[in-house]
Amino acid sequence: MIHSRRTLLKAAAALLVDQWAVVHRSAFAAEPALNPDRKVILVACGGLRRADTFAETGVQNIPHLFHDLLPQSLFYSAVRNEGVTSHYNTNASILTGNWQRLDDWGKTPPATPTLFEVLRKQRGMAQDQTWLISSNKALTSQIRASSVRDFGPAYGANVIFPKQLLINAVVHAAAKGRAVHGTDRGSVQPEIEAMLNRDNYDGLGWSVFEESSSLDLRTLGVIEQAIHNLVLTNAPVTGDEFTYLVSAEIMRRFAPSLLVITFSDMEVAHFGSYSMHLAGIRTVDRLINELWNLVQTLPAYKGNTTLFALPEFGRDLDGSNTNGFFNHRLNDDSTRQTWMMCLGEAARKPQIIEEPVTHTSLFPSIGQILGLNNLDVAAKPLPGLLI
Amino acid sequence: MSQQSCGQLADAATMNAYRGLIKRMPVTMRPSLNQQLSQWEMLFPFEQKRLAAFFRGIESFQPSALDALTAPLRALETKMGVARWNFTETSETMENASLLARSEFYAEWRHDVQQIFSAIEAAASSAEPTQSNPAQPAPARLVVLILPAGLPIDTPAAWAQWDRRGQEIRIDGDAHRVSELLLQGQPGKSSSLAIQSGDDRSDLWLIDAGSDLNRHLPSSSPAYSLSYASMKDFRDKFLAAVNTVPKNIQATDQVLAAVRHHDWSQDWPAEFADQPRLRSFVIDLFLSGNGALIFSNAFVEWAASEALRRARPRVLIARFGLRSKPKPFTSIAIFENQQRISALPDVDDPEGSAIDALILARYVWSAAARYPEGEQTCGLCIAESSNSAWLISPTDRPSTWKTGQAVTPEELTAVLRSL
Repeated sequence: MIHSRRTLLKAAAALLVDQWAVVHRSAFAAEPALNPDRKVILVACGGLRRADTFAETGVQNIPHLFHDLLPQSLFYSAVRNEGVTSHYNTNASILTGNWQRLDDWGKTPPATPTLFEVLRKQRGMAQDQTWLISSNKALTSQIRASSVRDFGPAYGANVIFPKQLLINAVVHAAAKGRAVHGTDRGSVQPEIEAMLNRDNYDGLGWSVFEESSSLDLRTLGVIEQAIHNLVLTNAPVTGDEFTYLVSAEIMRRFAPSLLVITFSDMEVAHFGSYSMHLAGIRTVDRLINELWNLVQTLPAYKGNTTLFALPEFGRDLDGSNTNGFFNHRLNDDSTRQTWMMCLGEAARKPQIIEEPVTHTSLFPSIGQILGLNNLDVAAKPLPGLLI
Repeated sequence: MSQQSCGQLADAATMNAYRGLIKRMPVTMRPSLNQQLSQWEMLFPFEQKRLAAFFRGIESFQPSALDALTAPLRALETKMGVARWNFTETSETMENASLLARSEFYAEWRHDVQQIFSAIEAAASSAEPTQSNPAQPAPARLVVLILPAGLPIDTPAAWAQWDRRGQEIRIDGDAHRVSELLLQGQPGKSSSLAIQSGDDRSDLWLIDAGSDLNRHLPSSSPAYSLSYASMKDFRDKFLAAVNTVPKNIQATDQVLAAVRHHDWSQDWPAEFADQPRLRSFVIDLFLSGNGALIFSNAFVEWAASEALRRARPRVLIARFGLRSKPKPFTSIAIFENQQRISALPDVDDPEGSAIDALILARYVWSAAARYPEGEQTCGLCIAESSNSAWLISPTDRPSTWKTGQAVTPEELTAVLRSL
């Protein structure tokens, strides 16, 4: 471990223990019994280098993660992506516990069962109990279920791409000669709703409730409320902001057992703007904090929810011949090595775990938290969790 | 096989011989070689020379020795199942790249390919007659990176992440004059930099986010000059075409090939007239992503890095610029043309542009330092807003200035010209 990272982790550990001692003086007199209504929220955040986040050079970009959430978290400092460092393959690998090697643009479903399918099949859950809400246009609805015969779409998750809705609305308006005017957020609302209510929303790549040809009223209501919230909020209008608002509405209305959210504002790095990449990191930092605060306010979630947040991978090293932060394809620690934060019920006690783990370890860990048995994956569950 | 002179057209017999040599290479090495060969006339003299040397390197191997060299990669290709892939041998495609990158043997494949390249290049260089006089030092090269006055750069903090071989110098006078003085020639003559560089255009590159640099270069000077600003109309049309790419790798390859071969002749700015090689370079830039179509500073960085990689110029001067703030809502569709989508006026983002330009300037210097010529390259990054510069002298020509010493633009350019 490099010296600066060691120093940072020591500082973080001290901060963590101090704050935890104040807040939880009577911690763990008795461990809580397994709650049958346990819920898991998994947040995957595109490509973030440790140098831009949990490192001395990066903590200013993540004030909420570092100061507010780290002290109450189980923090894994060495999480390794050993698979294909593309968005679709990484998310598919996280969701299946196996390194997937699929078409990068999501043309084919995962080759082994997803958590969604195993959860729904083993526990007989309805489809509205498993959702994936994604900002990332590299994902497709194929990620909702595997190609395995005994599983497949019948056990798949609901998948929504809110950012794609925003993009389509803005681009559609422009194509019709209605350039988006003014800073008045309300002027965009009709454009988005018009897009939402068109007969065919296939272009959005969604898959909600058994692939019906139109949105059901409950889901439509969720998204319309999220649009309304987006118009009202003072936060910057970004794809991730809208993804967060849709996710929050899904939580309020469906309280799913497994909710997977992927954020991607930071992926503007591919276009070469480092300042906008850092702004994307700060947005994710704020949204994860808001998400965790929301969990504390919703009765269906408070006290029984575990939240995992991790980057899908890092990004390439400055000075590399792959153009540094622009990309994430280098076979190097800068790209493969990242971190993960675990908050809530299964985070037994705040701790920094330096033992190397992999992205695929999330599958057996989340599976066990949610009461699944006989999980057929090579990856071991994460250490330190109360499962 | 005859040796090709730099920049000359290769004759048909030589091309056929090269194609025969490519067939002796493992399948996964062929797309890159075939693509370069098919675009021979669009390659810069350095690329042509290097490719020709590579083929001579292949030729220098006895068949059994070449088989032995390539055997591990061929075995790996069998293990990877390349024969079952929809793998294109004639050119590099996104599908090829995707198939290789998602193979579980990708790292091993990269290693094996590198081994073969290294062995062939070593054979080529040992077969190459030594042309340079060891008594004479290799000619110095110069990379000048300009962070314009509109970008607020906090020096010396900004220099803390730069190549530690360098030193800060203060510019006593108008920092903007440095590039002017460097480029100006005597009345009626070429730029003195161009004279140093010879007649080959690819030896002097000017890459500009705006359209400032080229104004200082005498028209008679042979140089490649790229201005992001003056390409606006062409960029807009090109971006619109690229944005028709569907979300499908195979279809994307087809669309990108169509975009590449589309007749853009009516859309190029006038300065690209009679410059097919530069046009091809720009299209390659735009199709290889990295933001070159979206942000001016990304264009400057990527164009400069690619020019250094492909042309190895004696002199490269790159000037970064100011971008607009992302507009509400359109920032989520960043790959779109914001001027077209939003009626809001553009608002400059000097702080964000400065952050972008500073790291991208470092990336250009990293690209320059990466190649063997890096040892002989002088790097100068000028922060015009703070009249400060970071100077990295060539290894064999150390600076005589003290760190923090104030020098006038005239003194600075005189030293740079004398390298």
